Amino acid sequence: MMSVKELNPELQSNLPGVSIETGFDTNDLVVNIGPQHPSTHGVLRLVTTLNGEVVKEMEPVIGYLHRSKEKMGESRSLFQYQPTIDRVEYLSSFYDHLVFVNCIEQIADIPVPKRVEYIRVICLELNRITSHLLWFGTFLLDLGASTPFFWCFRDREEVFTIFENLTGARMMYNYFRFGGVNNDIPAGWLEEVRAFCNHFPDRLDEYEAVATKNPIVMDRTKGHGIMAKEFCLKYGVTGPALRATGEALDLRKTNPYSVYSELDFDVPTRTECDTYARYLVRVQEMRESIKIIKQCIDKIPGGDGGALAILKKEVEVKTKEAKKNPEIVVPHWDKDWDTMGKKINLLTYKPPAGEASNFVESPRGVLGCYIITDGTPKAYRIKWRGASFSNLSALPELMKGHMYSDLMAIFGSLDVIMPEVDR
Amino acid sequence: MNEENKTPEQAPEAEVIETTPAIPAGFFGALLESKGIAVEHLGNDAKGTEIIRLTAEAILKAGELLKGDASSKLDMLLLVTGIDWKTHRESVYHLYSTVHYHSLIIKIVADANDTSPSLYPVWPAVDWHEREAYDLMGIHYEGHPDLRRILMPTYWLGHPLRKDYKEEDPRLVWNRR
Repeated sequence: MMSVKELNPELQSNLPGVSIETGFDTNDLVVNIGPQHPSTHGVLRLVTTLNGEVVKEMEPVIGYLHRSKEKMGESRSLFQYQPTIDRVEYLSSFYDHLVFVNCIEQIADIPVPKRVEYIRVICLELNRITSHLLWFGTFLLDLGASTPFFWCFRDREEVFTIFENLTGARMMYNYFRFGGVNNDIPAGWLEEVRAFCNHFPDRLDEYEAVATKNPIVMDRTKGHGIMAKEFCLKYGVTGPALRATGEALDLRKTNPYSVYSELDFDVPTRTECDTYARYLVRVQEMRESIKIIKQCIDKIPGGDGGALAILKKEVEVKTKEAKKNPEIVVPHWDKDWDTMGKKINLLTYKPPAGEASNFVESPRGVLGCYIITDGTPKAYRIKWRGASFSNLSALPELMKGHMYSDLMAIFGSLDVIMPEVDR
Repeated sequence: MNEENKTPEQAPEAEVIETTPAIPAGFFGALLESKGIAVEHLGNDAKGTEIIRLTAEAILKAGELLKGDASSKLDMLLLVTGIDWKTHRESVYHLYSTVHYHSLIIKIVADANDTSPSLYPVWPAVDWHEREAYDLMGIHYEGHPDLRRILMPTYWLGHPLRKDYKEEDPRLVWNRR
């Protein structure tokens, strides 16, 4: 019997560590994965050339979820565009709002009160937890464990209830405004957040007890999908995938925005560069988020919303009375306690001409927005940088030489979300 | 380890991550000019990021310099944006350094035929970004290894993000009248 090498010498090319000595002919097979595949988390099509069970080539076909977000931004006023931003990336939409709102704040030089920054950070970090929880559930689901998925959704529900009490919506929040937030936090909301922060780490311990040292998880993730730092830089890969290479690039630490410079937290890194390292980094990030939220609850200027709302009403009434009767003492009101830096009529708002770009650390990596305004209510150009877009572009080279069965484990560890890729 | 055993001396050290160093204004422009590359200074944006405009001839040489020089080390490309200024098209590159944590914005004007040099030889990360700019804005990047449409279908006509774009595809129902 002739070996495969004799039959077809070309088959042996560029497959590191794989030798095919089966003794029968294995022609290349093109397998079309997706667009409707449960493990691609959206509509992604992967045209994969297989040699036996080994991936030889792969070409991602994207654009199935392209909703022309950038064109929409040019044809609607900023106020009309704002609700649609949530859909750029629906799992962590607070981040999209933050970059967008920050860009306009930079262009128009709108001040942001301290209280707003703290409310925003609480929302962002809670959102990071929900996003990572969904990744945790689906990643293990891709590996064949279906129960953790339901546990994660139980916790996500709790956070969504917290968000609903604040913004009125469960996923599409539309909460941040230029120079502020839509409404102040309701009475007792901080206690809800604190209660969640107190019991969530224990839940996370439970999940980790099931998954982290699980022999199946370790077998399927350790040593697979290795991305070195140079590889990440070559494709512009950021976020937990980059931090799993030992590079502590977290914009919250390296280029602090909002109030992150006042908060104490660590940037979890690993040096193994493999799928398992990316898993560990994300789980550790959830714990760091809890740490950040707890500090924010203690530090937020003005404290809980209930007492502050009563005080605000009193200040308004007393200020009016003080105009007629100077003997009336107006209670102290700190500017840091405001929820709006500058009153803006959003319906007619025209930012000055200018341009601004802004980058923040989203759960998936560096998320950015680049806005050019020309003095009209509409933006002249809006450009989004989705972290998943760059992360996904690394997949074909990353998968080369890996087994087909490892595809979804490795792809899942990149935490790609398709609406952010296609926009 | 018990909490009681911890003395203040044994407390873990603070994070040793450098925050953004304040780089002097016009730092990158001055660096390029010292090597004999013509630079048009466009000032800083609101966050203090320097903006420069380079010519198509100088960009690859400047790119190698900015990526390799120890004081700039701009090794990560974050974003490529195509802009339609009605009279001409422009590409904007957002660069970042994972060593010094500073950033730079480079602008390159495309010529009358909408061609612009690709930065693929310097930053391979531009691959998909430049494909997207070609797809939606119609800027042809010379030297790009695989310049195809990426978001729109391959049979699409025109470039949707151009300001003068109209859906004139004769196959569309509303264009048949």
